[in-house]
Amino acid sequence: MKLPDDNGHFGEYGGRYISETLMPAVIELEKFYNKIRNDKEFIKDFKYYLKNYVGRPSPLYFAERLSKIYNAEIYLKREDLNHTGAHKINNTMGQALLALRMGKKRIIAETGAGQHGVATATVCALFDLDCEIFMGKKDVERQKQNVFRMELLGAKVNSVEAGSQTLKDAMNEAIRDWITNIQTTYYMIGTVAGPHPYPLIVRDFQSVIGKEVLKQLKRLPDILIACVGGGSNAIGLFYPFLKYDGIKIYAVEAGGYGIETGMHAASITGGKPGVLHGNKTYLLQDEFGRIKDAHSIAAGLDYPGIGPEHSYFADEKRIIFDSVTDEEAVKAFQELCKLEGIIPALESSHAIAYLEKIKKEIKGKTVVINLSGRGDKDMHTISEYLSAAKPVKIKSGAEAGRD
Amino acid sequence: MIKMRNERNFKHNNNKIDAVFKKLKEEKRKAFIPFISIGDPDIETSLDIAKTLAENGADIIELGFPFSDPMADGKVIQRSYERALKNKISMEDTFDFIKRLKAFKNIPIVLFTYYNPVFAMSEKFAEGAEEAGVEGVLIVDLPPEESGEFTKYIEDRNIYQIFLLAPTTDAGRMRLVLSYAKGFVYYVSVTGVTGARKNLPETVKSNVNEIKKITDLPVGVGFGISSKEQAKDIAKYSDAIIIGSRIIQFIEDNINDKELILKKIAEFSNDIISVL
Repeated sequence: MKLPDDNGHFGEYGGRYISETLMPAVIELEKFYNKIRNDKEFIKDFKYYLKNYVGRPSPLYFAERLSKIYNAEIYLKREDLNHTGAHKINNTMGQALLALRMGKKRIIAETGAGQHGVATATVCALFDLDCEIFMGKKDVERQKQNVFRMELLGAKVNSVEAGSQTLKDAMNEAIRDWITNIQTTYYMIGTVAGPHPYPLIVRDFQSVIGKEVLKQLKRLPDILIACVGGGSNAIGLFYPFLKYDGIKIYAVEAGGYGIETGMHAASITGGKPGVLHGNKTYLLQDEFGRIKDAHSIAAGLDYPGIGPEHSYFADEKRIIFDSVTDEEAVKAFQELCKLEGIIPALESSHAIAYLEKIKKEIKGKTVVINLSGRGDKDMHTISEYLSAAKPVKIKSGAEAGRD
Repeated sequence: MIKMRNERNFKHNNNKIDAVFKKLKEEKRKAFIPFISIGDPDIETSLDIAKTLAENGADIIELGFPFSDPMADGKVIQRSYERALKNKISMEDTFDFIKRLKAFKNIPIVLFTYYNPVFAMSEKFAEGAEEAGVEGVLIVDLPPEESGEFTKYIEDRNIYQIFLLAPTTDAGRMRLVLSYAKGFVYYVSVTGVTGARKNLPETVKSNVNEIKKITDLPVGVGFGISSKEQAKDIAKYSDAIIIGSRIIQFIEDNINDKELILKKIAEFSNDIISVL
């Protein structure tokens, strides 16, 4: 079965749920991309910049002390060592080369934590493209350093004051800009979501992660683990392995304060199928189909949806979805700092934290975890979290009743 | 040139949208289709606004179901939805609203929404819409390619799905979209989101003429129209004028004075119909 199919569907998910103004542009993008994705020159350019600019291949590091504790063979795929500090640049590099070939000179992108914004601003500086980033007002306030980085790189950062003022609203505003400037502008989506062909394009560019792991490990692993918000680092690691039946694949969603509190960002664990931002997929929503705000300590996971391919493989049970809480992620963050001398991004810490949940299962097994980004950007969040005497817990109904 | 005959158009021949356009054609008039959000600034006031529009020349009323993520809408309608969302309007409230409006005056209703609230209710949406007497449903993020699922719910009911055409739509795509269209087709005058504009592109006329070569369906023009002069000009070559943001601006500007909102909207409505 071809995924996505010719109309961009992954089973019942994916597709193109967009206004008519955008349809012709998205169809044009699909035709153009289909021509170029197997073009030798294009692939050569992409590989050149991945090697010489991004710094690929990223190491597959055998985490010795972590392995000893869990009595397993644990490898970390070091996407944190890429230029700009995360996997995001694999995708923006590919899309920038695509936009250049399409003759587009203006790039727009949405960002939550700012990692995709920085990765976009970086390639725009490199290739002399105009760059505008949309970022929710709340995120602009809590990620000041990344806003400054984007501005240094020459991007204009637009603070979005609509709705919940976070990533989903930034994406709404990017889509509005795209509708308005469709003739001149390329929309650089940061994750495996959006209307077809974006989930396919982003998957193609991120799959370099899994392909390298296959080469570096020289054998098949038993277990793969990655964190998932929109799901681009996860698809990047998983995709080349999906065809091997014996491999167990875990995608770890952001459980926030706990799924039962409703304050989380776990679209599959705690949501249901719906339509947003151009695709059908699992979403956090209320009974009227309105989108709910997500919550996670990791701004990069703080999105109420997920890529449609993940929804498909969740239903198929090929990828197992579970979640860890803010608290568990922070604990794993601290553990990795002290055990391996690696400061992981809070997003990636969710994947590390999952080891504890499956510790019985991983004994004696070979495990590959995608360390999707580094934690420098999270210093402020972590220090605030740790200095608070005890994180505020949302009371469940039963507990409240006892007061 | 042979125009397209849309088989889907003949399944129901008693949809009031068709009747309205037929009558207008006989009277050599053009339709005025105002848009408002349900629940802005509150349910009762928005019902009074809809009644005012019905009494002052509206031929069809477009009602927006407030959504959390209105990606195709400009700032005025975004803020309108935000005000309405505070009133926690459910789809049931919406159907109830439409029933009450229709009890006052039986004017055709086009329900304007994004797809997720419809998808969340699936068949119950279609049942409720039919029972409330909704004539048309416009789902801004549901192009014909993805509309199969929704079509199943409404095809045996007397409800039309209203489709959009945009300045970016080429002739080949126009034919595709028009093969699904019923009632009337909504031409989006600008590449952009909803919102009043001083100047509209010159391509509106040529594109509307292009559409009319392909279909006999009435063509309505919306997005950006805000003045009597624009309405007069566009009405010369189209069949309906759709105005939303300009009307909602009256609500926002006079948010604490309900009587003034109703008065301003009645005046504006009469002003527009005087040139149609």
